[in-house]
Amino acid sequence: MMALKDPDYLVRIYDQMREMYNIVESAGSEIDDGLSNKKRNLKTTLTEQCQEAQIMEEQTVEMCIEAMIRHQPFARDLRAVSAAMKVSYDLSRICRYLRNIAEILEEFDVECDDPDLLPLYREGRKMIHLSLEAYFGKDAKAAADIIKSDEVVDRGYEAILNRYAMAEKKSGSCILFNGITARIIERMADHASYISHETIYLVTGRRVDYR
Amino acid sequence: METKLEVKNLNAWFGEKQALKNVSAGFKGNSVTAVIGPSGCGKSTFIRCINRMHEVVPRARVTGEVLLDGVDIYTSMDAMDVRRKVGMVFQRPNPFPNMSVVDNVVAGLKLAGSYGKDELSEMAEKNLKAVGLWEEVKDELRKSGASLSGGQQQRLCIARALAMEPEVILMDEPTSALDPASTTKVEELLQQLKKFTTILIITHNVSQAARVSDMTAFFYLGELIELGETESMFKAPQNPLTERYITGRFG
Repeated sequence: MMALKDPDYLVRIYDQMREMYNIVESAGSEIDDGLSNKKRNLKTTLTEQCQEAQIMEEQTVEMCIEAMIRHQPFARDLRAVSAAMKVSYDLSRICRYLRNIAEILEEFDVECDDPDLLPLYREGRKMIHLSLEAYFGKDAKAAADIIKSDEVVDRGYEAILNRYAMAEKKSGSCILFNGITARIIERMADHASYISHETIYLVTGRRVDYR
Repeated sequence: METKLEVKNLNAWFGEKQALKNVSAGFKGNSVTAVIGPSGCGKSTFIRCINRMHEVVPRARVTGEVLLDGVDIYTSMDAMDVRRKVGMVFQRPNPFPNMSVVDNVVAGLKLAGSYGKDELSEMAEKNLKAVGLWEEVKDELRKSGASLSGGQQQRLCIARALAMEPEVILMDEPTSALDPASTTKVEELLQQLKKFTTILIITHNVSQAARVSDMTAFFYLGELIELGETESMFKAPQNPLTERYITGRFG
């Protein structure tokens, strides 16, 4: 059986979401630069990017509602519209998490080197990238692999927290900065996992257990 | 809910042409089942086999079993009995034009047995109320049934079918000739009627199938491709053919 071609209204929704993804990718690069090079002035840029992402999320939801009214989609088309609404929210939420890191970078303004934080961030970002690739490529198997990899970020986050909890010499600001940032990265990775769940639902019609 | 109607290995032909191929399915009581599929897939033939109307077509024949409460309607029931228990509503409303509204409703009852005038009036009122038409026509009961609007005529025809107290009602695209408001009334009516009967409705409108039915049966080239709960089927059909049809990729 030939793969089903997406109807035009879905193609437009996917185009919109790719643009949204590009914004989130760009915001992600800014934060990578910020964490790598201790940049403290990213808040304004990230706020603008995330406002744009939020507007695009609202537009995507409007496009989905219009698609439901005009085209009354069923089966995989219905699942695609449902998934688009959720994934656009995930993208917007990821962007807001990135802005949160920019805010923390600016507000704390301290030198807090933690060798595990940047790798954790990059792992989380890789998950987001792969989850979106799987989503746009309608690849349920890749999506399932991403869900499994969420544990890597969870363990990394826990390791950072445990290390600070056990440390004899503690700097309050750095504990807060690294702990909160690690927590945000962990949440971002959760959203990559949610996107992957939507991809599996979109492709197979089955919901997989979140646990 | 128990199975009210069951078909087993049902085959139907028009001359040499086979219209239904080995269809087996069960339909629960007090439910609405939408029968969908592209034109020529055997939907109408299928429901006409269920009240033995297929056999009245010249050179048509049927094999297999159709069981109503476990009783084979072809071998153990009289055809007229079957049509009394299995009513039918057609695509275009077809009230008897030379009969009044009330006479249309009780026409079948008059033919079927000896009912007194008062009894017939009560039956007419009861069934006009059941289809939500009573308030609209109670002052015009002696008017011709054909003078009603299209939507009212279709509900009159449903009232006529209901008057026979059928156990199953078959509907062949009952709203295809109606405006949206009348369609809504008929669709709402189905939810009321299923409380005391079992309904199979053919529709080309997949949105309507999704709105009104508990179960959906998808036919293609004379075969029953998929039968399942409507909600599941419209979210995630099991068969790729069903998926292609309900997403508008063919048909």
